[in-house]
Amino acid sequence: MNATTDQTDAETNSDGDHIRIESLRKTFDDGAIVACDDVNIDIDEGEFVILVGPSGCGKTTTLRCIAGLEEPDQGRILVDGEDITGLKSKDRNLAFVFQSIALFPHMSVRKNIRFGLDMNTDLGSDEKNQRVEDVAETLGLAEMLDRKPSALSGGQQQRVSLGRAMVMEPKAFLLDEPFSALDANLRDEMRVEVKKIQRDLNTAMVFVTHDQEEAMTLGDKIVVMNDGHVQQIGTPYEIYNDPRNRFVADFIGSPSPNLVECTVERTADGLAFVSEFCTIPATDEQAERVEQRVGETLVYGIRPEYLDIVPDGGAFVADLDVVEPLGDRDAIHLSASGTSLSAVAPQGEVARGTDRVHIDIQTGESWLFERDGTRLV
Amino acid sequence: MSLADYDAVGVTLKASTYGVVWFLVLLNLVPLLFILSVSFMPPTEFFGAPHIVPYEPTLEAWTSGFAELKDNLVNSFLIGTGTALLALAITIPGAYAFARKEFYGKKLGFYAIILAMMFPYILLVIPIMGLWNDLGLYNTIPGMILAYQVFVAPFAIWILRDFFENLPKDIEEAAQVYGCTQFSAFVRVILPLAAPGIVAVGFLAFLTGWNDFLFANLLTTGTGPVPAVPVLYGTIGGGSGERVYWGKLMAETLIIGTPPTVLYLVARNYLENAFTV
Repeated sequence: MNATTDQTDAETNSDGDHIRIESLRKTFDDGAIVACDDVNIDIDEGEFVILVGPSGCGKTTTLRCIAGLEEPDQGRILVDGEDITGLKSKDRNLAFVFQSIALFPHMSVRKNIRFGLDMNTDLGSDEKNQRVEDVAETLGLAEMLDRKPSALSGGQQQRVSLGRAMVMEPKAFLLDEPFSALDANLRDEMRVEVKKIQRDLNTAMVFVTHDQEEAMTLGDKIVVMNDGHVQQIGTPYEIYNDPRNRFVADFIGSPSPNLVECTVERTADGLAFVSEFCTIPATDEQAERVEQRVGETLVYGIRPEYLDIVPDGGAFVADLDVVEPLGDRDAIHLSASGTSLSAVAPQGEVARGTDRVHIDIQTGESWLFERDGTRLV
Repeated sequence: MSLADYDAVGVTLKASTYGVVWFLVLLNLVPLLFILSVSFMPPTEFFGAPHIVPYEPTLEAWTSGFAELKDNLVNSFLIGTGTALLALAITIPGAYAFARKEFYGKKLGFYAIILAMMFPYILLVIPIMGLWNDLGLYNTIPGMILAYQVFVAPFAIWILRDFFENLPKDIEEAAQVYGCTQFSAFVRVILPLAAPGIVAVGFLAFLTGWNDFLFANLLTTGTGPVPAVPVLYGTIGGGSGERVYWGKLMAETLIIGTPPTVLYLVARNYLENAFTV
């Protein structure tokens, strides 16, 4: 880092963030559609950040604003303290990998990878060729440099597209659902590869996906978005264990967590949450927060792995609908008084043909939400 | 039993397919064969009883026909090429703007251009003649080239707009991320990918300039750059009822038809791609 950037860093009062997105807002159709609003994200150097959310949540728009493919209505984008909001995408030194791969079909793989160097740098021919060869080596494309993209498989094409980005040695990689067109096995392979590349290059990467599992496995930091707003930013563990609202809880994790409406009531043993099929005692922390709210309705949330299947007793009894093998464990889909629930048990622990099971709840792992979705405890 | 029935149906189907194909081929081929044969006949033969193979083949019709057309073929070539080049120069940027850019009156403008295509252009000849006279374009090659744009440009914009629209936007954006301005992305990525469409439009524009009779006849005089097609009309006698030298007419027809045919064969791969997209 040179002196001038240090200075601008100080001016913008940055705490060493590499890329900083400040109150970004983007609308389409003259403001009729708000794609994203009030988006603030800090990305550190070498950090792998995932933007995740359902389709239409504004994650791709946010990424395209960073890349300069969309012009935001409001907000700033800073790279190393320098405001790049108004710059053309070619002047941002950020590489973008498209969902549709978007290779240039009339150019060979070599020319595709070299394209950015040819257009945007004045490196010598030897230097360019060396970089192309190195990148091709890393990605296992060395044999294919003189083929046309149409002669490659989908996975190879996406590698070329990654190569086209890597060769630029950009300040950050921006990837828009890069593997959604690939089949499941290849997708897993590419994920591992991308994560390895990102570790090796130690370059920031912003990765958009709608697949929460992909988000969990890849990210250092996950940004969950919905309806154009950032719902929560955190590490995969924070997002999983400690969702800030009902949307995040519901969106992350498979099978989905159990979210049950219940009423706060005072029982002989203290406060408890009463639903149609069971009464769950409140933990001390929960009791403290809902002390004043007896009689009100709240949403009780708990992940499937914290519902234990016990031989007898337990908090309630549920009908067993389906056992869904997930490999080392089974997802158990239950219903109790018309409410669908799910639990997770080690492989084969629940015998097929079982009708009813007793369920115990690890109350310490539960969450409480207001009915509007905000987290209470 | 049922196998035999099936075969009967199959054979009938195949036979009728070939029947239709052959009928269509012959419909085109028989007149062409007559044109070819008559062009090699001396006048005594083509005024006699009809026959296909000339008794005393002669090249006289070809040599006199070619001598008569020589200068006019050059005019036709200049007009056809000029029409194609000017049309591409105008319509490539125009079509790209209609395909990718947002501007006020885009929809209306596009429909106005399509509407211009529906306009019977024979009605335009009179005002164009007057206007070209005033502007000094009457009886000049540039004047002809300009006049043909009236009906070549709308058609070219229509075809090219669809072509540009169907090219994936991501590819253009990728070019912009990796160092291109919108203009250089257009030149380096969009133009090469649109080559089939551009070749097709250029070819059709050339054909228009080469084959047209109406403008060619009315916007030139005997002293000016008359293209080849009006000369053909002269050979029939200009409708004067004089004796028609069929041999020369046929030879001239074939001479005029040859350059577009050669051009088509050269550009065939591109043309087929253009219309299968």
